[in-house]
Amino acid sequence: MANLGFWSTVRREVRRMTSRKMYFAGMVFVPIAMLFFFVSLLSPGLPLKVPTAIVDLDHSSMSRRITRSLEATELIDISRHLESYDKAMEQVRRGDIFGFFVIPADFEKDVMAGKRPTLEYYNNLTYFVPGTLTFKGFKTVAVTTSGGVVKTMLTSVGADDATAMAMIQPMTFDTHPIGNPWLSYSIYLGPTFTICLLGLMMFLMTVFSITMEIKNGTSPEWLATARGHMTVAVTGKLFPHFIVWSVIGQFCLAILFCYNHFPCGSIFWLAVGMELFVIASLGFGLFVTTVVPNPRLAFIMCALIGILTFSFAGLSFPVQQMYGPIAIFSYLVPQRYMILIYFFVGLDGFPIYYSRLYFAALLIFPLVAGTLLRRLRKACLKPVYVP
Amino acid sequence: MAQNNHSAPARYGWFTQVALAFRREWTMIFNDVGVMLFFIALPLMYPVIYTLIYNPEVVRDLPLAIVDNSRTEMSRELIRRIDASPSASVYQYCTDMAEARHLFGNNEVSGIIEIPSDYEKNIVSGKQATVPFYGEVSLLLRYRALLSTLTDVQLVTAEDLSASKIAQTGLASTGLGGLPIENHNNFLGDPGQGFASFIMPGIIILILQQSMVLGICFIGGTARERRRKFFGTDPLALDGLSASATVLGKALTYVIFYIPMTIYVVRFIPEMFNLPHQGAVIDYLLFLFPMLVASAFFGQTVQILCKERESAFIVVVFTSVAFLFLSGLTWPRYAMNDFWLWISDLVPATWGVEGFIRINSNGASLAESSRPFIALWIQSAVYFCTAVWVTAYIRRRSIRKYGPLPSDASTITSD
Repeated sequence: MANLGFWSTVRREVRRMTSRKMYFAGMVFVPIAMLFFFVSLLSPGLPLKVPTAIVDLDHSSMSRRITRSLEATELIDISRHLESYDKAMEQVRRGDIFGFFVIPADFEKDVMAGKRPTLEYYNNLTYFVPGTLTFKGFKTVAVTTSGGVVKTMLTSVGADDATAMAMIQPMTFDTHPIGNPWLSYSIYLGPTFTICLLGLMMFLMTVFSITMEIKNGTSPEWLATARGHMTVAVTGKLFPHFIVWSVIGQFCLAILFCYNHFPCGSIFWLAVGMELFVIASLGFGLFVTTVVPNPRLAFIMCALIGILTFSFAGLSFPVQQMYGPIAIFSYLVPQRYMILIYFFVGLDGFPIYYSRLYFAALLIFPLVAGTLLRRLRKACLKPVYVP
Repeated sequence: MAQNNHSAPARYGWFTQVALAFRREWTMIFNDVGVMLFFIALPLMYPVIYTLIYNPEVVRDLPLAIVDNSRTEMSRELIRRIDASPSASVYQYCTDMAEARHLFGNNEVSGIIEIPSDYEKNIVSGKQATVPFYGEVSLLLRYRALLSTLTDVQLVTAEDLSASKIAQTGLASTGLGGLPIENHNNFLGDPGQGFASFIMPGIIILILQQSMVLGICFIGGTARERRRKFFGTDPLALDGLSASATVLGKALTYVIFYIPMTIYVVRFIPEMFNLPHQGAVIDYLLFLFPMLVASAFFGQTVQILCKERESAFIVVVFTSVAFLFLSGLTWPRYAMNDFWLWISDLVPATWGVEGFIRINSNGASLAESSRPFIALWIQSAVYFCTAVWVTAYIRRRSIRKYGPLPSDASTITSD
């Protein structure tokens, strides 16, 4: 390797990386700052105690009992008592509350008279997470209130508690959310967003390090250091990047799964996946640069794809439900495979056998990047900078 | 050009200087294809791409594996009910849990329902039957859809069974034809519970801010490169103008440029894709004006980090993700700790998203969105000051670092 100029290319790249603050910012500061951002911001797991209100138009003992059970629900914080629907609606529009619960006038009277009054509740779904939590809290209270009335009726005519309960609720689902029993957003979004962010920064820094050679006209010198071999030039250049990103990637895994103890089946295979993911992402960045060896276009491509990946990698909205022509794109970026590896190997803790294809897919990216190196070589020999 | 540089302040009043800066910036952005890409292509294309990703809105027919150990009429009825629900569908009947787990591992099903062998027996004998459901939670959206479906199935089944049973026992002769209390839920703002309808109104505001900041940083980085090359001065900039006039003039350019883009993004995108659009057009356009102003000054402040054209990508692009979280769209602001709340207060898009969603999706009036509206004006004032400082600082520092102008440099600057 030495006589091919590999190590001198590596040395040259290390010198370049240490001489500019941008490398430190993009490769160390941003990933680690964002990792701590995700972990710290989402650390409560669920945004409990959603600010909500109650509109009690009945003022009876039954309506006060409902208010008390709403107050006891940890999902919502029903500290506001309002007098009318209009007031509550105005507060929703102002953004002070995310929902409200209405107990109609004459509620208790109507229940006793068997008139089946309706409990109305309103959730503002423009903010999805608090909206759904409010919905869950309200619905639970409304349903149990109704059940409680039936139970009182049944016990008053002589049924014992267990029989009454089985009559009201003859069957229940016992739900087991695998891997994330708390349904914590921290566990859900922390690792996936970190993976996507690492991918984005790897794309950008690879493009940065290669296209800056072209921009500054140093690319012939780069190629000369590698004795004119494009493959050596590229591997030598990206080798120090690989080392830095590996350390950063493993550090992220360590913080998430060892320090924060997020559920994880096999940390070993996840770590292996991370190494492959780093290689694949560098390969992707290289590929884009070989296709468009021009700083502006390469950066724009990588930035746009990298940012869109947060959406189409299927970590918030499932890929299976997207339109076919859109869903295809998610399989063209390494982030998707790394996320699948995390889901299956990490979160669900399945044997590695089920993720074998995702590991293999990550290996394809650097191979594809290798096919167009000749194009990059041409651009490097005659560097033209289009601003 | 060089004459303008040095003689401007003596000859022109402040407002004329603003106009000069405005005119110069206007030609600058039209002569830079890269910037045009950010200012035009990005706001034009991105909302469309994003909406196309999220436009299926809801998750439907999530595949489930069924392990039916009961094999009775009641268990089949339960399975039929699950299959008939909008969110779930029966993907395959499995003989045992091992088979179901295999499907699960192959990513073929999103959950497993295991009906116990004593399911019917328990119900008939007046005991409560429990049906385990194992769901994958890699995507909470998916799990939540399944969970709410199962809750509905459970309620319907219960109502069905208990009505007949209570009637049979003759315990309650109160004419109990169903539940004594009805409950009715109303979703506000996004009644279809759609994902695009929830996230897009926020994202389009973020796109406006981020594309503008990216473009401004791009311009700033390019100017810094010129300063390095030309001994600390920028031959294309009007350095003779006062810093405040320059900042205001430039901001005026960006804001005026962005008005048509904003109208397209907030007025037509929601209509094109049938996203929520409740609010009065005039209300949200008036509301977004200070957001554009604040973003223009914010961008000119962030410019300090961009020493060359391309660094804009590394400095700005990743912040979109952080700003999305800080805006409270994915993680509500009331659950943030004080530190992040404080940081999120500093981002124009936070208030832009907050106010725009209330107006656009909840039909709030501008008066009801006064809090974010005022916050945006305060931000505009603060970022104006910081942008003036940054502009003056860059001019001063470039001269100190790369200047002083050699005596023969006039040949370069006046080209």
